[in-house]
Amino acid sequence: MGDNAMRSEQEVNRAIEKYSDTIKRLCMIHLKNYADTEDIFQTVFLKYTLSAISFENSEHEKAWFIRVTINACRDLLKSFFRSRVTSLDEVMEQPAEIPPDYRDVLEAVLSLPQKYRDVIYLHYYEDYTAPQIGRILGKNVNTIYTLINRSKQMLREKLGGDGFEG
Amino acid sequence: MKDKLREAFDQVRADEEMKNRTMVLLSQKTKGYTRWRAQNYRWLVPAMLCMLFLFAGGKWLYFTPMLEISIDINPSIELGVNRFDRIISVKGYNRDGEKLSDSLNVKYMNYTEAVNEVLQNETIVALLGEDEIMTIGVIGTGEAKSMTVLSNIESCTAGEKNAYCYYANAQETEAAHEMGLSCGKYRAFTELRALDPNVTAEEIRNMTMREIRNRIDELSGEGGNGTDAADSSADEENTCRENPGRKNAQDGHHGKRHKHRHSG
Repeated sequence: MGDNAMRSEQEVNRAIEKYSDTIKRLCMIHLKNYADTEDIFQTVFLKYTLSAISFENSEHEKAWFIRVTINACRDLLKSFFRSRVTSLDEVMEQPAEIPPDYRDVLEAVLSLPQKYRDVIYLHYYEDYTAPQIGRILGKNVNTIYTLINRSKQMLREKLGGDGFEG
Repeated sequence: MKDKLREAFDQVRADEEMKNRTMVLLSQKTKGYTRWRAQNYRWLVPAMLCMLFLFAGGKWLYFTPMLEISIDINPSIELGVNRFDRIISVKGYNRDGEKLSDSLNVKYMNYTEAVNEVLQNETIVALLGEDEIMTIGVIGTGEAKSMTVLSNIESCTAGEKNAYCYYANAQETEAAHEMGLSCGKYRAFTELRALDPNVTAEEIRNMTMREIRNRIDELSGEGGNGTDAADSSADEENTCRENPGRKNAQDGHHGKRHKHRHSG
């Protein structure tokens, strides 16, 4: 890998604009505080800058960002000094800006065990299918189906009816 | 449910400030997108530290003496032996000893080879030919290894009628080294001082073992022949048994030593 493997500033800035929101959401469902989110941003985009990988299309690129972000979050969580408590207030810099309805939904997602949170986000927000999620997370497709169904039940229990029946 | 989740997640957005900070930081880290290899050498730091520790640890393991071999005729020398049975230091304790240690090339040799080398040294051969007494002491802290070394050295000296081997505890050598004497000389010195309180370490340092032995024999009123000298040497060794637990092992060696003596 030579010096020309490094991506240009324009390319990196375009990626920052394009994927920051996705990374931020992934950080929210994994991390405990805002400072860690910033760490992950730097780690992921630095990796992108220095990476020689060429993407087949934008879907491929997006999946790469999701996988690298999730791995970076897991690495950070493995770190010895991290606490194990998550609340929206700690994760978001300005949680007050989020309307109460949405806050409740996000809090409900964060209250689920970690293995469900990725699946919920990738399935409900990013519209990935179970086989795609399986590839991104490196898990068996059947496991993903189980996680999707189970998380649906748990969210329903937490949030009640109110449009959560679907 | 899907819509509600989607809308909720839509509320979460990366703020411009964080994006900008990331852009600035990336630019700094890559030195304006020109140099990125510098940070790849970071792994070198722990690697170098590991190497340093390994090196220091290895050096410590190799260069810590486990026991010493004290050889006295008139030249008094001490050989430091490490845990791998190699000689790591050669020190002369008097003028002749220094001369001898300079002429010896035994560093990093196995101790049995080193003792053989000393025994074959011209000066030593000449001295032993003049009926001088040679003592070879193994100075350790009482562990089994010292006994193994002692028995190996005894087999090296089996052909020399005037060579005597003994074991001494390391504590004893501390007192010896404080006086600038080798262990063998120190033991002879303490024995002679018991009979003649006026004797000094200075005097002893450059006397031959035979001369010291003869002085002891004179003062204790015994005859000066070789057998008596050897017998009192055995008595002297009894006084050096500081560790009663080692008595049996040392008795075994005594038996062997007597055998050498009779064969002479």
